[in-house]
Amino acid sequence: MRKNSFWEWEITKRTPWFGADFKELYSFRDLLFRLVRKEFLMYYQQTLLGPLWMVIQPILTVFTYVLIFDKVIGLETQGVPPFLFYLTGITLWSLFSDIFLGTSGTFTQNANIFSKVYFPRIIAPVAILLLHLIRFLIQLLLLSVVLAWYYFTGRYQPDGNWLLSVPVIIMTAGTAFGAGLIFSVISARYRDLMNLQQLLVRLLMFLCPIFYSLAMVPGDKKWLVSLNPLSSFFEVFRYAFIGKGTASMNELVYSAVWMVALVAVGILLFNKRGDQLMDVI
Amino acid sequence: MAQPIIQAENVSKVYRLGTLGSGSVKKDLKRWWLTNVLKKESAYFGAVIGEEQYQDQEFWALRDVSFEINEGDVWGIIGSNGAGKSTLLKILSRITKPSSGRIRGRGKISSLLEVGTGFHPDLTGRENIYISGHFLGMTRNEIKRNFDEIVAFSGVEKFIDTPVKRYSSGMYVRLAFAVAAHLDPDILIVDEVLAVGDAEFQKKCMGKMKDVSTNRGRTIIFVSHNMQAVNSLCSKAIWLQTGKIKSTGNAHTVINQYLGAHQRRLWQQEWSPENAPGNEYIKVLSVKLEPDIPEPGTPLTITNALTVKFTFQNNTNDINLVAGLHLFTLAGECVFDIATAPGIFKEGLMEGECSIPGNFLNDGSYYFSIIFVKDTSEPVFYLEECIYFDMEDYRVNTTWFGKWMGYVRPQFPFYIKSVNPVT
Repeated sequence: MRKNSFWEWEITKRTPWFGADFKELYSFRDLLFRLVRKEFLMYYQQTLLGPLWMVIQPILTVFTYVLIFDKVIGLETQGVPPFLFYLTGITLWSLFSDIFLGTSGTFTQNANIFSKVYFPRIIAPVAILLLHLIRFLIQLLLLSVVLAWYYFTGRYQPDGNWLLSVPVIIMTAGTAFGAGLIFSVISARYRDLMNLQQLLVRLLMFLCPIFYSLAMVPGDKKWLVSLNPLSSFFEVFRYAFIGKGTASMNELVYSAVWMVALVAVGILLFNKRGDQLMDVI
Repeated sequence: MAQPIIQAENVSKVYRLGTLGSGSVKKDLKRWWLTNVLKKESAYFGAVIGEEQYQDQEFWALRDVSFEINEGDVWGIIGSNGAGKSTLLKILSRITKPSSGRIRGRGKISSLLEVGTGFHPDLTGRENIYISGHFLGMTRNEIKRNFDEIVAFSGVEKFIDTPVKRYSSGMYVRLAFAVAAHLDPDILIVDEVLAVGDAEFQKKCMGKMKDVSTNRGRTIIFVSHNMQAVNSLCSKAIWLQTGKIKSTGNAHTVINQYLGAHQRRLWQQEWSPENAPGNEYIKVLSVKLEPDIPEPGTPLTITNALTVKFTFQNNTNDINLVAGLHLFTLAGECVFDIATAPGIFKEGLMEGECSIPGNFLNDGSYYFSIIFVKDTSEPVFYLEECIYFDMEDYRVNTTWFGKWMGYVRPQFPFYIKSVNPVT
């Protein structure tokens, strides 16, 4: 009889919960970085302004919001210039929605490549995650420039601590990634969800304190916004950059628990179910 | 002594046809309710819920497939469509999981299940070389090292920074294959890539695969419908039929078994006098093709001579009778039309025979029709499409596996020689 160690790998029906081991994942790092690069190139393929869109897009969005929420509706922004107020919210929101929408299409959009070649499937959503983190950093740069302009022209004096934003950014990205993974698995099986997804994201957007702050929500409706685990992230993020925002420790713990749960369930579900999905998509 | 590199034990893959891609929440919830809450085990096999009946059927794409492949062997996997070839490749490539059984192996596997894995039309040739290379398992350094060679091999130097969507399909395929050709895995899995591309490209592919196996000693698993290619490239073969291994072993033997079983044939027909085809003059009683093959069950190849024999009842006494034999390709083109010398025969049983030498017809599918003519011009009876047969290709010492042109492939004396050599 041959010794067991004679064989280097084995294929059976079992799927480990963690999909691939870290040694294997590490061996696919070149693919990961190439995919990030590819997605990046794809975004601005055949555009005139190229990567400039990364900053133009949020600016245009903010102008729209300023027009509607400030000029038309006249929503209060706690003494912060509306442009700065909305830009802060939009920056973090696009991080969430980009990662969530990007990763939730993992199976449906990669069905072709998944059916032709093996690589640890988690590489695909992780590439999307990295891509949007990089885009986010560039948008953060825009936010800093705008903030500096307000500061040096003396129009607004923020008194936040930007270091507080770091854990919040990580947790927002984590929540989006976890939720995206769960959605990717379910929507591969039930395409029905793809129709609902856009609606859900829009609904969630209004439940996040982006154009308003938690302090402005009437007391009897507060629970609705507080229920949203993302709310405290927006408050802390805004506090970190423009010094306006309130979040209690309880709210942050509540959000953190959500994030950890979503990431854990997402990764496990993705790895465990991913293999079976190959026979469905 | 060669060591085994892949060992498959009782590998099975079952698909549930009913659940496959149904993608409806309602149906799945009902199924879940039945199996998990009401504990009805039969939910998968036709439980009645209201007026709906679930007719979930199991489909065994593979069933108890076991084999062992040694290092450096080149294996061909053959079988008709739906026999499980692709499923087996997908399991070996880790794209899908087996339902039971296991495969163990050593070394790195690369699979070429399509030409241009991971290619994106919007990206340049340069980007696509990297992306495709990484997908197929190459590292960045490997691609960097081979980059110039890959570009040279593909012959698209000028367009390397152009998006591949602007490439001609030939250029696209060449670039894609150039990447694949520079893979250096321990085990290479190739699925029917030869089916695309022109003759020159196919030749390049085959040459590369031969090089990988003979010069570098790599193990190759190769699926193809082209028996010529399998025959010349592979030393061993597996014949899959409806998910099971029908035969395995020496490639030549397995291919012959496969072809012998799959050739289209209607070699013999006999009729009793009551229902014999014909009219008041002629009634055909039997037709028969007797190929000169060494033993029954071996495939008919272009080297085999053929004899056509037929018997008929002649009810005429005084007409000038001619029998003609028409050979058609399956597409209906006439290959030849030959006739017997005219003669006046007495009423009664008659027989006819025609010999066609080997090395005359090209490979392909053919049928015979027999015609009886009186006074060299007036048809008496035409028995259409009475014998069907397939001719398999047979080539030795060639690197060309494409379809040989023409209906006939005779071996006439033909040579070239040098008349005034420059010394």
